[in-house]
Amino acid sequence: MKKSPNEKKEWLVDFKAATRRRLKDRLDYSFIRTFKPVLDEAKFRSFDSMKDYRQWCEQHLPRWLGYGRTL
Amino acid sequence: MAEPFSFRQAERLRKVLARHKVQYLFIGKSGAIILGYPDTTQDTDIFVQKTRENCVALTKALKALGFQLTKTSVEEILRGKDFIQLRNGPFDLDLIFAPDGIESFEDAWRHHVTVKGYPVCHPDDIIRSKEKANRLRDRESLPRLKAFRDYWRQKR
Repeated sequence: MKKSPNEKKEWLVDFKAATRRRLKDRLDYSFIRTFKPVLDEAKFRSFDSMKDYRQWCEQHLPRWLGYGRTL
Repeated sequence: MAEPFSFRQAERLRKVLARHKVQYLFIGKSGAIILGYPDTTQDTDIFVQKTRENCVALTKALKALGFQLTKTSVEEILRGKDFIQLRNGPFDLDLIFAPDGIESFEDAWRHHVTVKGYPVCHPDDIIRSKEKANRLRDRESLPRLKAFRDYWRQKR
């Protein structure tokens, strides 16, 4: 998707502001926690290959989570 | 539900992995955030070198961090899987042993970046892995991430 020059200018402002923040602040405020259906319902999952993992995401996760290639 | 990842947890993760001599790199959006990328994310992703010795060290480090690893999950880690998702510890952690778009751990290590002791994949590798994964969520975030990479390069 093509981004407008204004949007790119806004990004630059964001980038400049972020680099002024301490690493501690970046880490403390960048990680959020929301429950993701299916994905967060198992304590442990393992996949032999990334291809297997991607296929599992496509087949089992709700589309709106964005882990698939299409909506 | 685990707590969101924080600086305190990041420091503990870094120190425990270093104590156990685990070879790893932060990757994905969590890596980009350490580099200074302003965004939010939910999980922490680390790219771990897939050798038997490193995986043994990793399992010891994960237990020390408080991850509840069963005998089976330890065996899975040692068996050389490509992707492991942990939701059984103090924070959510994804272990990636063969990220999309990256040739090898050694290749990524050669041009990695260290930020205050945190080893992080080069932004080009983070971008390449997201391009190759080609998930909807990655495609949406890539233009901004690429713009950050260009800004980050200029600032170095």
